[in-house]
Parts: sequence; structure tokens; C-alpha cells
Amino acid sequence: MNSTQSTLTLGQRSKLFMQNSPARMAFIIAIILYAVTVMISPGSFNASAIGSIVMLTLLLSIASAGQTIVLIGGGMDFGVGAVMSSAAILTTTIMNSQDGRFFPLLFAALSMGATVGLLNGICTVKIGLPPLIVTMAISNVITRMQYVLTQGSPMGYASPSFIKSVTSKLFGLQFLPSIILYGLIIIPLVFYLLNHSRFGKQVYLLGNNPVAARLNGVNINRVQILTYVFSGMFAAFAGMLGAAYMNAARCQIFDEYAYNSLIAVIIGGTSFSGGVGTYTGSIAGSLVMVVLSNLLTAMGLAQPTRNVFMGLIMIVLLILYNREKKVRQ
Amino acid sequence: MFELRGVDKRFDAVVALNNASLNVKPGEVHALLGSNGSGKSTMIKILAGLVNPNAGEILIDGSPVEIRNGYDSRKLGIATAFQDLSLIPTMSVRDNILLGNEPKNALGLVDQRASDEIISRLLERFQIDCDPDDYVQTLMPSTQTMLEVAKAVALKPRLLLLDEVTAALHYDEIQVLFSVMRELKEEGIAMVYVTHRMNEVFEVCDRTTIMRSGESVITGPMDDFSLDDIVYYMTGQRPDKSKKDVVHSHSDGGREIVLDVKNLSIFPKVHDISLRAHKGEIVGIGGLQGQGQPELIRAILGAIRYEEGEIIYDGEPSTFKLPSKAVKNGMGFISGERNREAVFPARTVLENILAGKVAKGKTFAYMPAKANRSFAQSAVDKYNIVIGSLNHPASSLSGGNQQKLVVARWIAMQPKLLLLDDPTRGVDIHSRLEIHEILKECANDGMTILISSSESEELLSLCDVIYVFYEGCVSAQLTGENKTPEKLVAAMMGMSEDHEIVSTMEAKA
Repeated sequence: MNSTQSTLTLGQRSKLFMQNSPARMAFIIAIILYAVTVMISPGSFNASAIGSIVMLTLLLSIASAGQTIVLIGGGMDFGVGAVMSSAAILTTTIMNSQDGRFFPLLFAALSMGATVGLLNGICTVKIGLPPLIVTMAISNVITRMQYVLTQGSPMGYASPSFIKSVTSKLFGLQFLPSIILYGLIIIPLVFYLLNHSRFGKQVYLLGNNPVAARLNGVNINRVQILTYVFSGMFAAFAGMLGAAYMNAARCQIFDEYAYNSLIAVIIGGTSFSGGVGTYTGSIAGSLVMVVLSNLLTAMGLAQPTRNVFMGLIMIVLLILYNREKKVRQ
Repeated sequence: MFELRGVDKRFDAVVALNNASLNVKPGEVHALLGSNGSGKSTMIKILAGLVNPNAGEILIDGSPVEIRNGYDSRKLGIATAFQDLSLIPTMSVRDNILLGNEPKNALGLVDQRASDEIISRLLERFQIDCDPDDYVQTLMPSTQTMLEVAKAVALKPRLLLLDEVTAALHYDEIQVLFSVMRELKEEGIAMVYVTHRMNEVFEVCDRTTIMRSGESVITGPMDDFSLDDIVYYMTGQRPDKSKKDVVHSHSDGGREIVLDVKNLSIFPKVHDISLRAHKGEIVGIGGLQGQGQPELIRAILGAIRYEEGEIIYDGEPSTFKLPSKAVKNGMGFISGERNREAVFPARTVLENILAGKVAKGKTFAYMPAKANRSFAQSAVDKYNIVIGSLNHPASSLSGGNQQKLVVARWIAMQPKLLLLDDPTRGVDIHSRLEIHEILKECANDGMTILISSSESEELLSLCDVIYVFYEGCVSAQLTGENKTPEKLVAAMMGMSEDHEIVSTMEAKA
């Protein structure tokens, strides 16, 4: 084994590393990108800047949790953004700056997310349409509903205590936003679901070989629908936290998370074809997305130029990541 | 003269070939033999240009050549008939055969008349009964395999590679294939023949190269080898005659009936089938390919619906609409179509073994990592599965070991009724015998086993009762002294009683 390794060139070895441990690779890329940012603008190396990276990374990680599960199960959820936006509007409308409405809100938001997920799941599984089209169509309906139900301008603000629970600094430290406490609940929950529960293992089998999974006794329709339900619920929760972070909400406020969550998950090494991937990778991928966006801001680029660069860098990363690994056929 | 010298090939940590060599002379059929995972297929793929070796050289008539891809291989006069077929299902027979090799007229367009002639001659030579405009996906699996060979021969190669093509063929088709191979031999074409069926090797091959764990162990004329020699070179051990086989004793007096299928019909393949399996019994389903065996098994599992009849499982009418229901109620299913229906190639060995346990039980229940690991490790140890590590992907294992993985997955679950659909297809003798021993032990412990197989010897040596299917009906039920190869073959051809054989022959005369 050692002799095998030593005969490889540096390039081959780094390629192997990238393909075998995409999560670690993503963390390394994030660190490099951050180092470049600091070199370009030394002022950006401070506690509050790091705190904002942590905040945005956790927000994207939570939004990506369901996306990760769906993608591993062989599907795709383009409705994450619309569900987040809707949950944000629910948050400001229900709370309307009043404390003590967290649990009714939680119930309403999660039910909304679960319902949308259920719809996505049933339409993909029972009608057999490609998930990209189904989830886009349904997310479109939800987005329009935001305008219909709010007349285009959602009212209210998140409650002060909820805002505080997301944005205050732990131990007074600028780089520890209290959203970390929510992360400490959600992240272990996702790890339990994916890696330690029977459900997670069924998702991996389903994504890798649905025919075999079915004949092997996995109720594949049920599992697939459940992946979408989880995706809707995690997205809804992320939308609530997002509303607290932004204080107020507007229609389509988090729509870009549909795209961002998908890219973060893929940078994290989850395969488009299903059956392969980790949540650690998705967290790392979220970090890359946030740091990259920071870097482009630090370079002083205008928003349109930034988007162009973002797109180009994404394409490069995706090419590097999604190469099929060579195995015995 | 085609030669491979000192070829190495690694797939990550797995060594598929280690200093392997092969030389094939014009006008000979060269048998390439070895257990699953010995590197036969990799050798074929190197010559076909699908796999590039890490080291070693390829020589044609003494001069080194490079085969980087399928196009190079074809240009050098090499044609391959693959086990898993290289036909395009949604194209016609004609287009498949001529693909990339169309006869052209003066204007550079496809010459319709010339191509018609090529096709009809080829179909006649291989005695393939189909219309050139039929889509390949509508043909029987065995016809598709014949087409695969015909397509390779149509390229007029100097070297023809045949990778386990007879696995899916009927007896008469194999004879046609052999006569074509003998003609090609006369024409001076070199052939490499890969198979697990030893009787074919002695019938048609001139020389052999035997492989073991990626190395070519020995090469020599076929006449120098006995069957025992071949097994010795393949496994490194002399077949142990003194070793006691597991004896599966059978008596169904008063034992409970686990499975009772009554007058089952599944459109369009199965008509009015009844069969019965008792506790601890091994029930075989025989027959040529495509006589409704897979459909019956899948109907019992709940994977497909049936129109008429009744399935009584464990004393109650079973109404399983999904395999997951059947599995929850103690069934297990092992498919021989491992790539499509059994193995999870990207997942680890551990997860593949665990798949049965994963399918059964509370959805959100905790599955402790330590218990999973020891469950998988004990299965690997018990069934001698050759793996690199429990964490390697299943795709890193050889075919035979992948199949053992699937068998271990279900045996470890101790199902009440185990369904097997041609479980040893493409599995080498050695692993096959191991799987048989495992099944017999399980039956002795009270497991009921329903096994469909295309191999007569497998059914005869394993089963207490054999139901022979012919065109969706049971043409014979063989038990005890009736279990003879002759009766089995006769029933497979649809001749259920001796006098019927006579009457059919008279009718022909």
C-alpha cells in the first residue's frame, strides 16, 4: 500500500485526496480562501468578521441539512429557498415583535415545511417527474403565495428575545454568535438521522441502487418522501433563524439559498447521482461558500462582477469534485 | 500471435493483475480460466481497451502496440463479446450490428443493399430468429447474447474475445456458437474464451491459461489437464475427496407448510402454477431461461402483482404489496443479477452486509456502530469473503465475493423463507460450492429455501424437490429417484413423461 502511494505523483496524490476526503478538502479550500481575504484586506481579520462567517455558515449548514439527505437519497430539492423565505415571513407575522410566541411559530413553520416536503415527495415519487422540475414548480407556487397572502409586503418583526437568542454573543465573545446553540441541536440531530439511524442507512442504499434497495425490503417510496419532508422542515427552521438574523422579512428574502444549499452540498462531496455524501462535507461546503463570498466582497467587486466570479469558481470546484472515482467495474 | 507480457493493474488498493501474461495463436481457441476475482475479466478489458494497465506490454506478431481505448483495440483487429452485452437496447438489430462499421457506397452513404446482405448472412450463420428491424430490447436475453457474439464476428477480427457468453445461452444455441467457433478456427482467427463451465472448455478449447489472484499460473494444451488439475491451479488446492459434504436429509412427514402457492397466474409469463415448500426444505425451480421463474419468485416477494391464484405463506394468505412487507414478515431475497438487484457498489462492504438488517425494523431506531461492525465482521469471517477492509466499497470486490456478500447479508438475518433467483450466475465453482454448503446448513437448521437456477447440477445436488417450468407451467415435479439429469433436461424441453418424448420424436419423423 505504501509503495503504491509513493509511486504516485504529487498531482495524482492530491487528486486522490480530493476524491477520497472531499470534506477535509473543502475545509482546506475555505482556509486558503480566508487567508487570501486577509492578505487582500487585513482589516477583515477581526472577531466580529469571524462571528459573521460563523453565523452565515451555520445558517447555510442548517438549510443544507435536508438538501444533503435528499441528494444522498437520489433526489434534489430546489424548494429550500422558497420554504426558508416563507418561514421567515411566518416568523415576523406570527411574532410581530411579541415575545412568548416561539412555540406556536415553531409548530406553524415546521408544519408548513413538512407539508411542502410531503408534496414534493409525493409528486416526485408517485408521478415520477424529475425532482428538479417538481420542486421548482412547487417552490414557485409557494413564492407566489407569499405575495398573495402578504400583498407583497410582509408585516412585523421577529420577537426581541428570539433575535437575541440568535445574534447575541456567547460569553461576550464577538466570534461566538449564539446561533451556535441552535447548531448544537440541529447538527447532532442530522448526524443521528444520517449516520446512526436505520433511516439514514436506508437513504444511502436507496440513493446508490433503488432497485436493489426495494427488492431488499426497503420501502423506497416512503423513505424518499421522508427525505423531502425533512428537507422542508430543516429549511423552515433555517428560515426562522434567518428572520431573527435579519429582524424583518420580505418576499423571496432567502430564495438564493435554493442554489447555495445545492452547491454547498456538492462541494462537500455529496454526489449528484445519489448514494454518496456526508453532512460534515455539507458544513464544510457551506463554509467555502460564505468565505468565498467574503473574499469577493473584500476585493471590492461590484455585485454583478461578484456573481460572475462566484459562478466561475463554482464551475471549477464542481469539475474538480464530481469526477467519477475509478473502481473495478 | 497476440501477447500480453508482465501486465499489472491496480484499482486503488486492490491488485487485479500482477505480472500476468497471455499468448494466443492464430487459429486456436484459448481458454482463460480462473475463479472470480482472478483477473480474467480485467485481461479481457485490457485487450478490449476498456482498462489501461499500470505496467506491462502488449505485443502483436512480436511488435509492441498500445491499446488506449476501444477504438485502438478495434483498429488492431480485436473484437469482444461482453458478458454484460454492448448492445444498445433502443436500437434495431441491424443498427446494432453495423454500428461504426456500416458498408458505404460511392457517395459515402450507407449502402442499404450491402448491409441487408451482411445482416441476413450473419443471422443465418448464428441461427438467430429475429427481424433485422426488431429493437434489441424486445428480444430474449439469450438471443441478445447471440447477437452480441454475431456483432463481434461481423467486425472480421483477428482476435475474438468471448467473455462468459454462454452463461445466458440455451443448449442448442451453445452448439451453434461452437460450430461457428470451429469455422472461425479454420479461418485462422484467434479466440480467447472465458467461462465457468468446464465441460465446454474440454469440448471446444485447444489451449488454456489458468489464473489465480491476478497472476497467470500456467499455460498449456488442454489435453495436458484434467478437471482436478484445473481446480488445483485455480485454487491452489487439490480437490479434497475425503472432505464430507454437508448432508441435507429430507423428510416432509408432518412438517408445517411454509409456502403454498395455488394456481398462480401472472400475465403474461406464468399460468396456473402450484407449488409447496415445507419447513427446512430446499425447493428448486428449474427450466430454460424465461419460463416464468423470476416472475414467480417476485410475486411471492410482493415485488410484482399476480392476476389469479393464491399464495399462502406461514399459514396465512399473503397479500404483500411491497417487498418491504414480505421482508418484515421473515422473507429474504437473493438475486443473481447482482449489479442491478443486489449490490450497492458505492457503499462499503459493511453497509452491504448490513442491508438486510437496515431494511427490517423501526425506521428511526438507533443502530450502534459497534454492533454493526461485529455483525459484518462475523459474516465476513464465517463465509470466507475476501475483502480489503470493511470500509472499502463493495465495487472493490470480485464478482464471486460480491455475490457471497449478498448471500451473507440474508443468511445472517435467518429468514423463515429464503428466495433465490439464480444466485450463482457467473460465480466460480469454488464460491458456488461454498454457497451451496451454506444453504444446506441453513435448511438443516430449519430455513425454507426456494431456489431458481439455470444450472441443472446445482438443482440436482441441492434440492429436495425440483419443479420444472416450461412456458409458465410446471412440466414436471421431480423428487427422490426421479431427480436425474435426463428427466430434468427432458422436462426443461417441455417433455414431462417418457411417452411424450417418443410421441414428439415420432411427430418430427
